Amino acid sequence: MADKGNDPFAVWQTMLGEMEKGFNAFANKAMTSPEFSKTMNQAGGATAGAQKQFFEMMEKYLVGMNMPSRAQMVDMAARLQSIEAQLAEIKALLVQGRASPGAQATGPATPRPPRTKRPPESSGAQK
Amino acid sequence: MNAATGLALASIPERIQQEVQRAILRSIKGVEYFTTSGPSLGVTPKDLLSARGTMNLYHYRPLADEVYRVPILIVMATTNRGYILDMVPGQSFIEFLLRQGYDVYMLDWTAPRPEEKSLRMEDYVLDFIPYCIRRVQEDSGESDVSVIGYCFGGVLSLLYGSIFHDGPMKNLICFTTPIDFRKMELFSNFSDRRYFDVDGLVDAVGNVPPEMILSSFEMLRPASRAISQVQLWDNIWNDEYVKSYRMFDRWATDTLPLAGEYFRTITKDLMWDNKLFGGTMSVGGHACDLASIRVPILHAVAEHDHIVPYDAAKHLIPMVGSADKEEVILKGGHVSLVAGANAVRRLWPKLDSWLAGRST
Repeated sequence: MADKGNDPFAVWQTMLGEMEKGFNAFANKAMTSPEFSKTMNQAGGATAGAQKQFFEMMEKYLVGMNMPSRAQMVDMAARLQSIEAQLAEIKALLVQGRASPGAQATGPATPRPPRTKRPPESSGAQK
Repeated sequence: MNAATGLALASIPERIQQEVQRAILRSIKGVEYFTTSGPSLGVTPKDLLSARGTMNLYHYRPLADEVYRVPILIVMATTNRGYILDMVPGQSFIEFLLRQGYDVYMLDWTAPRPEEKSLRMEDYVLDFIPYCIRRVQEDSGESDVSVIGYCFGGVLSLLYGSIFHDGPMKNLICFTTPIDFRKMELFSNFSDRRYFDVDGLVDAVGNVPPEMILSSFEMLRPASRAISQVQLWDNIWNDEYVKSYRMFDRWATDTLPLAGEYFRTITKDLMWDNKLFGGTMSVGGHACDLASIRVPILHAVAEHDHIVPYDAAKHLIPMVGSADKEEVILKGGHVSLVAGANAVRRLWPKLDSWLAGRST
């Protein structure tokens, strides 16, 4: 077997790693300048503004077409998730009720282990 | 040995054969990669105790015959999903805690809905966390609760602990938690107050989109995504590598949006005015003085953390008022500190040995 230093595939891996480190370091250095922040934020601000305008325009268009907007679809998905979560809670309560018919609704769904565990000898003493 | 190249001649046919095999496997596995989904993540059995908009409180089903008296509430960072702490069996921090005999709850987040853009820091620190603590107390029947905060979840836990310093938090564990935000130099420069119009952004978009959060994380290491894809192709014959790549890649790109008002406060109070480090932070009129935290505290930081560098995190232990306090610096990065093969060997046993004696 070739040793690692002479293995072209290992050399390729090392080279990739070094390239990554070098490029990241170079880019990070450039990104600490105020000019970078200025340019990045100008571009980001313009994009956010354009997005807002486009979003408002699309909303109007979809209302005109009698179609739901993305926000309405997201809202609907969230409401479905909420219904699913409530169903899960109801299911958990039903399971709990079946397991112990006399138990109160607020008790745990499954039997819980006792809270009596002590740390092993080697562990730090209680403070 | 060939004197000119230093390459062992006898090994060349072997190496060529191995690479040909790998090339064939790459073609087969490459097709597999695009036609299959990754491993199921976050599958440790749990029950949803409470869901309120962006906030979800889970209780994990115990895996030990007896548990420590004091339950644990994990507060996840608001930018990411909690399954980083529950990847797959054998590589799950949650599963580890359960098997060691802890009773574990997690405050996890979902994407805030458009109408939740008005959620403020007050909602997170004075409502969500205290509410979850109360639910944990009710559910476990215990008055004491240990809190573990990951990254910005650590900041939220510290703000909570500094306001509710008389209890019921019994122990606090922070992972990679920033205190001096100016030392997060790139983030600090990205949000330079001279050029970053946070009001304009929040007013325009409501909740800050996840793509923006993700690109700001990726900009910290701009070459890494491209290189990682080359490395994936190199290693696509290796099932373990591919599994690990898919787990971490899915989590890293599964970024959450941030509620607009909450983001505005983070930017102005923490990134611009560095109030937590300066001791002038307040939430809802309550002063957040780290010196008022007196519970036992452990802060685990990563040696090669590119998101929260050590210089940003190192002030936590000196600033808290606890007599019982410890900082532990471990090898690894921001994510590998808490998840993956290295965490299994380094952080988890350390945390267990620290917490066990303080959980009775």
